[in-house]
Amino acid sequence: MTASRSVDRPGNARPDGRPTLTTFQLAIELAKYRPGLFGFCFVCWTAIHSFPVLFGLLIGQIFDALAGDEPAFRSAWTWVAVFGFFAVGRHGLIWVGEMRFITYWNDQSLQLRRNLLRWLLEADGSRVMTASPGEAVSTFRDDVEDLQEYMENYIDGGGIVVFAVGSVAVMASIDGSLTAMLLAPLLLVIFVAQSLGPEIRNRRRAMRIATEDVTGLVGEAFGAVQSIKLGATERPVLAEFHRRNEIRRRAALRDTLLTEALMAVNVNMATITIALVLLASAGGLADGTTSVGDLVIFLTYLPRLTFYLAFVGHFIAQHRRTGVAFERMRKLAVDASDHHLLDRTRVPLHGDAGELPPQVRVSSDKLQRLAVSDLSFTYPQSRITIEDDGSAVELRPAGIRDISFVLERGSFTVLAGRVGAGKTTILRALLGLVPAGGEVRWNDQVIDDRASFLVPPRSAYTPQIPKLFSDTLAYNISLRETMTSESVHDAAHLAVLDTDLDRLAGGIETVVGARGVKLSGGQVQRSAVARMFATEADLLVFDDLSSALDLHTEAELWDRLFDHRSATCLVVSHRPAALERADQILVVDNGTIVDSGRLDELLRRSQVMTDLWEAG
Amino acid sequence: MAVAAPSYRQTMLDYLAPQRAKVLVLCAVLLATTGLQLAVPLIVQRFIDGALSGEARSVLIAAGIAYLIAGVANQLFAAVTTYLGADIGWTATNRLREDLAEHLLGLDMGFHTNTTPGEMIERIDGDVTAVAEFLSRFFAKLVGAGLLLLGVLVVAWFTSPLIGLAFTGYVAIVLVIIYRMRHMAVSAAEEERETSALLYGFIEERLAAIDDIRANGAGVFTMRRFAGVMRDFFFRTTEAWRMRSKFRILSNLVFWVGSVLALMLGVWLVQTGAGTIGLAYLLYQYVMLIQNPIEQVTQQFSELQKAAGGIIRIDQYRSIVSELDDHGTLELPDGPLPVRFEHVDFSYEDQQILHGVSFALAPGTVLGLLGRTGGGKTTTTRLVSRLYDPDAGSVQVGGLDLREVSASSLRHRVGVVTQDVQLFRATVRDNLTFFQQDRSDDELLDILDRVGLGEWTRSIGLNSKLGAGGSGLSAGESQLLAFARVFLQDPGVVILDEPASRLDPATEQLVAAATEQLFVGRTVVIVAHRLETVRRADEIMVIDAGRVAEHDARERLAADPESRYSQLLAAGGGLLLGGGS
Repeated sequence: MTASRSVDRPGNARPDGRPTLTTFQLAIELAKYRPGLFGFCFVCWTAIHSFPVLFGLLIGQIFDALAGDEPAFRSAWTWVAVFGFFAVGRHGLIWVGEMRFITYWNDQSLQLRRNLLRWLLEADGSRVMTASPGEAVSTFRDDVEDLQEYMENYIDGGGIVVFAVGSVAVMASIDGSLTAMLLAPLLLVIFVAQSLGPEIRNRRRAMRIATEDVTGLVGEAFGAVQSIKLGATERPVLAEFHRRNEIRRRAALRDTLLTEALMAVNVNMATITIALVLLASAGGLADGTTSVGDLVIFLTYLPRLTFYLAFVGHFIAQHRRTGVAFERMRKLAVDASDHHLLDRTRVPLHGDAGELPPQVRVSSDKLQRLAVSDLSFTYPQSRITIEDDGSAVELRPAGIRDISFVLERGSFTVLAGRVGAGKTTILRALLGLVPAGGEVRWNDQVIDDRASFLVPPRSAYTPQIPKLFSDTLAYNISLRETMTSESVHDAAHLAVLDTDLDRLAGGIETVVGARGVKLSGGQVQRSAVARMFATEADLLVFDDLSSALDLHTEAELWDRLFDHRSATCLVVSHRPAALERADQILVVDNGTIVDSGRLDELLRRSQVMTDLWEAG
Repeated sequence: MAVAAPSYRQTMLDYLAPQRAKVLVLCAVLLATTGLQLAVPLIVQRFIDGALSGEARSVLIAAGIAYLIAGVANQLFAAVTTYLGADIGWTATNRLREDLAEHLLGLDMGFHTNTTPGEMIERIDGDVTAVAEFLSRFFAKLVGAGLLLLGVLVVAWFTSPLIGLAFTGYVAIVLVIIYRMRHMAVSAAEEERETSALLYGFIEERLAAIDDIRANGAGVFTMRRFAGVMRDFFFRTTEAWRMRSKFRILSNLVFWVGSVLALMLGVWLVQTGAGTIGLAYLLYQYVMLIQNPIEQVTQQFSELQKAAGGIIRIDQYRSIVSELDDHGTLELPDGPLPVRFEHVDFSYEDQQILHGVSFALAPGTVLGLLGRTGGGKTTTTRLVSRLYDPDAGSVQVGGLDLREVSASSLRHRVGVVTQDVQLFRATVRDNLTFFQQDRSDDELLDILDRVGLGEWTRSIGLNSKLGAGGSGLSAGESQLLAFARVFLQDPGVVILDEPASRLDPATEQLVAAATEQLFVGRTVVIVAHRLETVRRADEIMVIDAGRVAEHDARERLAADPESRYSQLLAAGGGLLLGGGS
C-alpha cells in the first residue's frame, strides 16, 4: 500500500474490555434497524435468484419436446409460454425487490453515518480525532459502505444458495458422475474470488488516492499560480504533475488488469465446464442415452453457477473485511460503545426533524470564579503518519504541565508566550477538548466533564484558525436556531463586521462558500468572534483574535470589546492593546506558566515577557 | 481572448496518433475476439445437430475441443482489448491533461484572477476524465459492440433471409427503445454524484470544525441541520438510484422478451421443418449475445456526448492566449538592479489605477511603499514583476524595459514574497523548491538556517510530507518558508507584500532577521500597512489615488513635519494607512 495511514498508538487499544461483537452478531444487529424491510428484501431476492433453476428445466423441456415425437412436439409451445410467463413475471419481482432494497440501503447508510457524527459532535467527554478530516470522511463513506455491502450479501445469499443447491441437484440427477467432475473447477472459482477480491479493492483504493494526488496538485498549483509564475517554476511543477499522472495511469491499469483477470477466470471456468459437458455427452447424444434437453440444462446452468460461486468467494472475503471496517468506525468514534454506533433510532426522513430534542440552553449559576489547578496534558505520540516513501513523520504539538491559575469574575487574562510554548494547548485542555489531567472548579464546584459543561451559556471559544461552514453568514454566527436577527447583528457589530456586511452583496445572508473561502482571512476571524459574542457566555476564551486583522480593524475590535465587555475573558494574544489592559498576564514558556502579573510588573522582572514586548 | 472553432475530432486524433502501433494491435485483437464470440454458439449448434444426425464421434469431440479453445481465447482477447484500450486512453489523456495544465499555467494573471482552482480541477481533470473514460472504452466497448452486432446480423441473414429480417427488426426496435430511455441512467448518475458530494462535504466541514462545534455547544443544532442534509440525500439518491435501476430492469426485460421470441421462432422453424434444433439453440444464444453490445452502444453514445462536451471546453481553453506577449530576449544583469517607472498608466477592467507614475530606485535601495488600499501600491509591484504590462509609459529593471526582457530571466531576477503563502500537500523540500529536483540538501538546509527554519526542518526531515493546506506548519513557519523560496531564487529585486501579518512577536523577530538578510545586495520594495514594517526602509514613497504623492529618503521625510510620512508617524500609523484585512 502506498496510502498514507495512521499507526495505532498503544494508548489507543480499548482498555475498557468491552465485549466486541462477532461479525455475525454485527449482521444481526444491523438487520434489526429495519427488520421488516430487511426481511421483505430477503424473501424477494431469494425468489428472484431461485427462479433460474426453473428456467433451466423449462428450456430443457422445450428442446426435448422439439427432439421428440408428434404429441410431445406440440407441447413445445406450452413450455415456451410457461417460460415466457415466468421470465417476464420475474421482472415484476425484481422491480419491487430493487425499489425496496434501495430504500433499505440508503436508510441504513444514514443510520450508521448519523450515529458516528452524533457521537463525535454531541457525546460527553473529550474527543481527540485520531484521523485527519479527510481520512475520517473515508470511514464515513467506505467503511459504512463495507458494512452495507456485507448486509447486501445476506439479502442475495439465500437465493444464491437455493440456486446452487437446486441446479447441482438437477444436474446430478441427470448425470451424477459428470456433475461430480465439474465441481472441482467450480470450487476453484470460489477460491480465486475470495483470494483476489481484497486485492481488487486495494487497487481501487490506490487508484482513488492517485486521483486525489493529481487533483490535489492541480488545485494547489492554481491556488499558487502567482507564486509559480513569479518563481518561474512552471517546469518543475509540470514535471511533478507528469509524475503523478503516470502513477495514476499505472494504478488505473493495475486495477483494470486484475479485474479483467478475475473476469477471465470466472468466464473460462464456465467455458471449461461446458466443454467437458460437450465432450462427455457426445456419445450419449448420438446413441440416444442423453437427451438434447439434458445438454441444454447443463449449458443454461453452468455460466450462472460459476457467477454465483464467485459471489460466494467474494462473500468470504467480505466477511473478513467487515470486521476491520467496523473496527475502524469504533476507532474513529474513540470511546463509543457498539450500542451507540448501532443505535436503532430511525433517521427522521419524514415530517420535520422533531424526533431530535430541540436545543436546550443549559441554565447555570453565573461565573464568580474559575480555578484551574494542575492541568497537564501531553499529546500522545500519535499523529505519526507513514508517508508514501515509507518515512515516518511525527507531529507533536507542545504539551503542558502543572498549569494552575484563577480567573475572577469580569477579569481579562492574557496568555503570552512564544510560538509552540503551549498557549493553545492550555485553552484546549481547560475546555476539555483534549483529555487533560488536573481539575477545574466553576464557583468552587469541580467540573466533572469539562467538554460538556464549558459550553454556552457558560463559556464560548474561538480557536486560532476558526472554521466556517458553507452556509450563510447568519448561520455561521448563530449556530443555533433560537437566535433573533437582532442579536446576530449586534454580535456582528461587536466583532467589527458591520462595514463588511454593507459591502457583501447578500449582507448577513451571504453564503460564505466552503469553509468560508468567499471571505477574507480577517472576515473569517471576525465572523468567528461574532459567533462567540452571540452566545452571550459568561466566559469567553479566544485564541489570537487579531492575527489576520489590519491595525485599524484590530484597534476597533479591542475598543468595542472593552467598552461592552461584561464577560470574563481568557485570551491568547501578543498585541499591546490586550497586554496593556490585561488584569493578569500568564507568561507561558515550554509548557508551563513561568510568571504572572500585570504588564508593568512583568516587564520589570520577566525576561520572556520583555523579549515578547520589545519584539512587538 | 479569441476562441477558435472547436475541432474535437482533430484533438482526439492528435492524441491518438503517437500510439498508432498500439491502436492497430487493438483493432486486430478486437476483430479476433468478435469472430470468436460469433463462433462459439455456432460450434454448439454444429455439435447438437451433428450429435442428433449421428455424425462420427470424432467430429463431435473435435467440436467440443474447438469450443474450449475458442471460448478461452475469446476471454483472453477480451481482457487484452480492455487493457489496451485503457492504456491508450490514459496515455493520450494524460498528455492532454499535461498540455492543458501547461497552457493554463502560462496564461496571464488577468485570466487567473477570474477563475478558481476548483474550476481548473474541473477543466483539467473533470473534462479530461470524461474524455479518458470514453477513449479507454471506445474501442473495447463501442467498436467491439458494433462489430459484434453487425456480425450477428450477417450470420442471421446468411442463415436465412427470414431470420435475418427477424433479427434486424428486433435489433432496430430494441435500439430505439433503449436509446429513448438512456437519459434516465445518465441524469441519475449525475444526480447521485452531486448529492453524495453534498453529504460528505457537510461531514468533512463539521469534522474539521469539531472544536468550534463542541466548545460552542452547537452539537445538537448541527445534528438537526444534518437531519435536513440526510433527508435531502435520502430522497434524491433514492430517486436517482431508482431511475437507474428502472432503466436496467426495463432493458433487461426487453432482452428476456427477446429470448422468448427467439425460442418461439426456433420452435416454429423446427416444426415447419425450416430449421434444425441446433439452429433453435443458436437463435436463443444470439439474442443473449447481443444484449451487452446494444447496452454498450446506447451507453457509450451518451459518454460520447459528455466527452465531446469536454473536448469542446478544452479546445476553448486552449485557444485563449495570454495577453502578455513573451518575445523579450534580453537578459537582466547580475547583482542588485535599479528600478525605474516612466509615466506609467495602467487600468484594470476599465478603471484607471495608475496615472503617470514616475520614480527611480538606485540599485540596493530599500523602498517602503505606503498608501491607502486601492491606491495602487499592489498594482505598482505587479508591474515590477510583470504580472501586467503598463498601458502607457515604461517599466524598467536593470535599465531594460521589461517587455524586452526574457521571461525566464525576469522570473529569476525579480523575486516576490506574497501575503498568502500557498503550501502543497507534498514534502518540505518540494514546498521549498516547487518540485525542482536539482537542489542539494546542503543548499536547502543552509537557506532554511538563514530564515530560522533549519532546526525545525532537521527535526522532521526535508522529505516529510506536509498535510493539505499546510497543516503541520504554523502561520509563522509558512511565512518563513516563503522567504526561503525567495532566497533560493536569489533575485536582484525583491518585492515584499505585507510581510509580517499573522505572527507572534518572537516569530516576527525571526522574520525580521530573515528580511534583514534578504536586503543585503538587493533592491527591495516593501508594501506595508504597518509603520514598523517600513522602519528599515531607505526611502519612502506614498501612493495616493494612483499618483505618487511623495517620494524621498525616509529620514528626510521623517524630519519634515509637513510630509505625509511624518503625519502618519504622529498619528500612530494605523488609521491613515488604511487597508483592508
